[in-house]
Amino acid sequence: MDQTTLVLALLPILIIQLALMIFALVDLIKNPNPNGPKWMWAVLIVVINIIGPILYFVIGRRNY
Amino acid sequence: MKQFSILMQKEWRENIRNYKIYWVPAIFILLGITEPVVNFFLPQILESSGGLPEGAVFEFPTPPPEQILTAVMEQFQTIGLAVLILAYMGTVAGERKSGTATLLYVRPLSFPAYFLSKWVMASAISLVSVWVGFLAGYYYTLLFFDRVEGMELFQMVGTYSIWVLLIVSIIVAASAAMPNGGLAAAVAFAIYLILQLTDGLFGAAWSISPVKLPQYAAAWLADSPDSGSLAGAIGITALIILALLVFGSWISWKNKAKTKV
Repeated sequence: MDQTTLVLALLPILIIQLALMIFALVDLIKNPNPNGPKWMWAVLIVVINIIGPILYFVIGRRNY
Repeated sequence: MKQFSILMQKEWRENIRNYKIYWVPAIFILLGITEPVVNFFLPQILESSGGLPEGAVFEFPTPPPEQILTAVMEQFQTIGLAVLILAYMGTVAGERKSGTATLLYVRPLSFPAYFLSKWVMASAISLVSVWVGFLAGYYYTLLFFDRVEGMELFQMVGTYSIWVLLIVSIIVAASAAMPNGGLAAAVAFAIYLILQLTDGLFGAAWSISPVKLPQYAAAWLADSPDSGSLAGAIGITALIILALLVFGSWISWKNKAKTKV
């Protein structure tokens, strides 16, 4: 397997992570009343990949 | 029936608005992809993480594709389960807490239809997530390793789906029984641990226990599991799910006064 196919094969992982992050960030910006400070959630979503957005969706949006 | 379809529409809309319909499958796809990829790059990962003496040589046998898919299933068993619990721990309890439930409970609501709509939606999203997760894992295993018979994968995923249904039933019933999502998650997780523990301690002699379903699912890849005990396990699981549905409807009716106004 050469380099380019390898990169192409790994691209979906990156896309899914980015999509989760963007979804979470957009929702955070639009959310008037998140559960906790906004900047903290922004940092968590960006820094901790995968787990950060999930934590925001589950805990930060107050819809648990 | 009319009530049920309206409640289903409500559930559908809710799951779109809280993005569960996107992120639950996304996590399972990610889990499904990661396992074959990590296995493929294991030599390089070990090399670059360091700590090895100069000139150390490793001979890695290429793992058989069946083993990779079993590993994907084990990922679903741990992280996937945690994700499902997180996603659906508040499906009834959170609604009572946020006050949405008050709007429902003041109407002449059929609680079986209410609970069933919750269960059907949670099951549908969980099952689809598990299926796309396995599909992604299967595709990457095919890409990096070797092919697994499509039929074997189908049988494995089918058997595993029944286990997923059981887990979702436990989570949704716990959510109906507990005052808040956190407690529901704790109870669902405790039930899961107790099930695993009893199976680990006394399970050697019980071939028809629901906890054995993931093992039977994995057994499809090697050869086929004992059909008698598989049928028995599926039958018992179906009975437990049915009992959980009845219990859930009853407990959500009983707890209706606990809703916040």
